[in-house]
Amino acid sequence: MRTFADSNPIVVSVYFVAVTSIAMFSANPVISAISLIGAIVLFLMTNEKKEVSTHLFSLLLFAVMAVVNPLVSHNGATVLFVINNNPITLEAFIYGVCTSATVVAVLYWFRSFTIVMTSDKLLYLFGAFSPKLALILSMALRYVSLFSVQLKKVQASQKALGLYKDDNIIDSFKGGMRVFSIMITWALENGIITADSMTARGYGTGKRSRFSLFHFKIDDVILLCMIPIFSAVALYGIVGAKFEFYPYFSVPEISMKLAAAYISYGVMILLPVIINIKEELKWKYLKSKI
Amino acid sequence: MISIENEKLRNAVKIVVPFLAVPMLVVLGATLFDERRHIIISIGVALLALVLFAAGYEKKPIGSRRMIIAAVIIAFCVAGRFIPFFKPITALTVISAVYLGGETGFLIGAMSAFLSNFYFGQGPWTPFQMLAWGMIGLIAGILAKPLKSHRAVLLVYGVLAGIFYSLIMDVWTVVWYDGSFRAELYLTAIITALPHTIMYSVSNCIFMWFMAKPLGEKLERVKIKYRI
Amino acid sequence: MEILKVKNLNFKYPLADSQAISNINFSVNSGEFITVCGATGSGKSTLLRLLKREIAPVGEVSGEIFFDSVSVSKLTAEKSASGIGFVMQNPEHQIVTDTVWHELAFGLENLNLPQNVMAGRIAETASYFGIEEWYDKKVSELSGGQKQLLCLAAVMVMNPEIIILDEPTAQLDPIAASEFIGTLKKINRELSLTVILSEHRLEDAITVCDKLLVLENGSVKAFDAPQKIVGELDERLLRGMPAAVRLFHAVDGRGKCPLDIRDGRHFIETNFGNRITALPKTEYACSEKPAMCFKDVYFRYDRNYPDVLRGLSFTVYENEIFCILGGNGSGKTTALSVASNIVKPYSGTVEIFEKKLKEYKNQSLYRNCLTVLPQDVQTVFMRNTVREELEGAESEAEMLPLDLEKLMDKHPYDLSGGEQQLVALAKVLAAKPKLLLLDEPTKGIDADSKYQLTDILRRLKSDGMTIVIVTHDTEFACDCADRCAMFFRGEIVSADTPREFFSGNNFYTTAISRMTRGVYRDAVSIADAVELCRLNKAVE
Repeated sequence: MRTFADSNPIVVSVYFVAVTSIAMFSANPVISAISLIGAIVLFLMTNEKKEVSTHLFSLLLFAVMAVVNPLVSHNGATVLFVINNNPITLEAFIYGVCTSATVVAVLYWFRSFTIVMTSDKLLYLFGAFSPKLALILSMALRYVSLFSVQLKKVQASQKALGLYKDDNIIDSFKGGMRVFSIMITWALENGIITADSMTARGYGTGKRSRFSLFHFKIDDVILLCMIPIFSAVALYGIVGAKFEFYPYFSVPEISMKLAAAYISYGVMILLPVIINIKEELKWKYLKSKI
Repeated sequence: MISIENEKLRNAVKIVVPFLAVPMLVVLGATLFDERRHIIISIGVALLALVLFAAGYEKKPIGSRRMIIAAVIIAFCVAGRFIPFFKPITALTVISAVYLGGETGFLIGAMSAFLSNFYFGQGPWTPFQMLAWGMIGLIAGILAKPLKSHRAVLLVYGVLAGIFYSLIMDVWTVVWYDGSFRAELYLTAIITALPHTIMYSVSNCIFMWFMAKPLGEKLERVKIKYRI
Repeated sequence: MEILKVKNLNFKYPLADSQAISNINFSVNSGEFITVCGATGSGKSTLLRLLKREIAPVGEVSGEIFFDSVSVSKLTAEKSASGIGFVMQNPEHQIVTDTVWHELAFGLENLNLPQNVMAGRIAETASYFGIEEWYDKKVSELSGGQKQLLCLAAVMVMNPEIIILDEPTAQLDPIAASEFIGTLKKINRELSLTVILSEHRLEDAITVCDKLLVLENGSVKAFDAPQKIVGELDERLLRGMPAAVRLFHAVDGRGKCPLDIRDGRHFIETNFGNRITALPKTEYACSEKPAMCFKDVYFRYDRNYPDVLRGLSFTVYENEIFCILGGNGSGKTTALSVASNIVKPYSGTVEIFEKKLKEYKNQSLYRNCLTVLPQDVQTVFMRNTVREELEGAESEAEMLPLDLEKLMDKHPYDLSGGEQQLVALAKVLAAKPKLLLLDEPTKGIDADSKYQLTDILRRLKSDGMTIVIVTHDTEFACDCADRCAMFFRGEIVSADTPREFFSGNNFYTTAISRMTRGVYRDAVSIADAVELCRLNKAVE
């Protein structure tokens, strides 16, 4: 079964970039709403754990940001009430709600992005335009896990050496610096072994090629072609139709163009869901034949 | 064509111009154009700056030993971001930049931001963080001499780096929230972020004060031992 | 066919007084398995590194090295990188990338090979070395043995004509070490690959190799089939030899020198009778006062993990040397962490000098009472020289039963494994402990240092110290312990004096015990076997 998350990382990233860019670019409340719903659905789908705190945080962020705008911005003609001689307007409030919807949607998109794009996928992507930096990142990633193991060992050996005289903050800060000092020596001194191991295997002899576990399959190509088409339709429709917030909130007239834009953005948002359901059905069918 | 005779100056200009010019363009672009949507422009420009840097780095042959040192420091920065409240990432970047040069400094700062977001969450803010920390490292590399010889200068740099980081990230916050750059929102953001700014600056100072000597000594020894 | 030829090779490190390598000549034929041996400082590593151009040490070199009849300095970069493979001691630091597959690909990427060629080579290498199952894993999830195998495979994937290994098993436990040597034997026999291996522990390597290259003070002492060399060795070189060789020398054997356990037993059976099968009984008396006492201790690292210690109960008495043996993951090291209050058990009590751990308030446990020499001694080094290191710990070097004078101005990381161990021990002893805990002190150190360590521990004991050692090394435990204990699945299953303990075990025991099984009843060390042989000779 090849779910959306298993697609080629390049395709996945292009998708995320397209979806979030249109949402941020549009300044269109309808698009923001579609984006927000789609983002939450995808997050629920990719994330197996129930992260109540994430949703609560998003809700809080949404509320705060929606309220901040009318407090800062006093444009708009419909005054709701006055605080400290500052008029709080309906338009500013609507504007606040719209922007916070966009921001929260983008937050959700990137949460899903972080889950879907595991480190090896990001490195693959990164390696596409800078193999050398990708190699440094891969090395650093290995060091992160190596250091966390070594850190525990160093702390234990320092404690058993009796180097912590008392249980207070200054002493433990000093202890922390000592541990840091030991760790940095250990890492830098042993790094020469790693460097030798690299040179011994021909690093630096010339141009490097790149091995990767990811391939382009026909599904990826199809998906990759669909994204710009949907994006183009969406953008074409949105550009002409402008929402006005100040001084009065006004909605652009719905046209064929705009309706097509909404539908095409909506379909694009649902692509991961569609792919996953399609794969699920295919898998059920294939499984029944085993 | 203007030619600069002094090689050091030439290098400095070569590096500073794109990286100082780019964020200024972001702000200018965001203020001068009337519409929102500057967020896309600013992310694009930030990414472009990073790509330019990566392209430059890619071309140069870099020895395995220098790469290892960079990877080690990056890993320390990433691990350091897990410490609550006090983050040693700026201090590590600056001190390493002082000993290893601005380019490596930029690399360490930018890559640390990118890699630590593997754990803390990637987002449209990533390029800004990369640029901010990268610049802090880059400038530290250019100011290596005074930073190395006077501890006080180093501490001042730490405070400034904290403020600089905050200011850049506040630009991002405003642009992200509003889609365009509004001065009053920027001011609000700066004021709201003030406790964080102070925290950054204070922790930068503390870490620089304590790390400068041990880390400096060790980098110096390794530089001799590794012959880089 | 001659694949490697070393001609009049000399080497001197910058600032050194003497030659590290002097006038070395030898040649290696294709498909040969060469084992290089010699004490620390004899120039093993320097010689091996000189053979690999990319990582050759910097200094004054003269003489020439030919690979495939071409001078090594004139090889193309690709030929030099892929033709000569090199595996180093510590697998942890040799690995470059974060995943198994990427590590395998690393060398091929450097050769700029296209994706499909790489995919094929990686696939066949991974299958040959049995890496397929952990191909997708992160490197950090592998065991030490797996990591070293990965290092070997990552070199083998580049299709080398010769492979050089510098003490590749030093950081591995005995089981993983013999498996690794087994793999080397396999690639040598099945692929007819030329292997040059340097080793401290020759027990496994000597029976596999075609030729032994003995180095002493930077020059070749002998270079021939092991059988022809081992008959005539001096005492220092003998220490690293297999038990059978040492026994042969200890009884002034004549004729063919045995190399492994099987030949060793044959040697005893044909040369000595077994009318006397046991040594006179000696009673072991120790102090009545307990120094460390575990009572029904249970421990796990996390609520949801399995128990690591399961009702562990044992007592170590004052002024004895107590060795805990057992396999990997049996919980030995955890037991030390519990004893030193690094981690806390969820049930049961631990008493140190008849006082519960809880009652040692405010780090007082570590003041003049208990201290630990950790397995990884690099976790205690933080200064630039040994002198600063010891002064920082307020350790008075003269007080210690160690001679560290010549190491004083070196950086701790520039020392050999054995020397690092001694410096760390000196640092640890500065706390003037009454109870010393050591975790795998013989890991990565040569036979000479092991002798020295045994000697120091004995002297500390005679000064009144109690010592608890966790180790894999049966020979070491047999030589220095008063009592040995077998650790299995979180508890101690048997404990006794080394003679009773090892003669009671069939598999987990010393080489001499395995060699004399069925011939003599309680010979566990070389000295025991020599004594029994002598007694039997006298009776005849």
